[in-house]
Amino acid sequence: MTGMDAILHGGLQGYLVVALLLFFLGLATVLLRRTLLLQFMGVELMLNAANVVLLAFARFRGGDAQAMVFYLFIIAVAACEAAVGLALIIGLYRHRDTTDSDRAASLKQ
Amino acid sequence: MFITFALITLLGALGMLLQKNVVVAGLCMVAAFFGVAGLFVLLANPVAAALQIIVYTGAIMVLVLFVIMMLSSHQEEAAAVSHPVQRWLSVALLAVLAFGAVKLVFASPGVKALAVKGAAMPQAMTLQTVGTNLFADHLLGFEVAGLVLLAAMIGAVALTKRNL
Repeated sequence: MTGMDAILHGGLQGYLVVALLLFFLGLATVLLRRTLLLQFMGVELMLNAANVVLLAFARFRGGDAQAMVFYLFIIAVAACEAAVGLALIIGLYRHRDTTDSDRAASLKQ
Repeated sequence: MFITFALITLLGALGMLLQKNVVVAGLCMVAAFFGVAGLFVLLANPVAAALQIIVYTGAIMVLVLFVIMMLSSHQEEAAAVSHPVQRWLSVALLAVLAFGAVKLVFASPGVKALAVKGAAMPQAMTLQTVGTNLFADHLLGFEVAGLVLLAAMIGAVALTKRNL
């Protein structure tokens, strides 16, 4: 399968490229946007890109069930991260009245 | 089929990156997650696709949108200090990194060999296989994950509550 073919019809390389681009879009969101909520969503996107790579390799290794177990753990950690991260953002908003990460640069009030 | 879901995913992610309104960006994110769920179906893994939709679009995104509405910060605030040079540098760096990584994927002989070797569609993942694997070999990990979830829940409540 050549490169272009893999992208169009879903070879392993196609999945890896989609996951990579997803990861870099998430990273760009974290780096370029200033709203903490959006940066948080970028982190979720990067976690998801890792999941795509994991399950793509599992499928091309003949449907490995081990990967599904790891996927479950990753999802559990992502859910924890969502709960605690959003609680922290709410806490910051209470103290500073902002969700802009640039305005939260110092530890003192 | 693959290219459709890939485009939904990437366009959703791109919309999230570029969208000014935070609520609309969140909905773009939902589109991206649905695209990823479609990719999981194409990977012969309907269990992962269902979990993706239930956990990410169902739970996490609802939580995020709820917080966005609660804080009523729909628009990004104007920059206190603008960093144009740093922003362009990071864009350039990301573009170079992404290009290099994609090139690496296509150049790798190991990936190519695996793509040829595993080209035949495997049997679709069933919930039974996942359950057997999870509870037979990873029971301790499962319990620890439950504990981590409980700790995160208590932590989130403690952080959000005004006067505990």
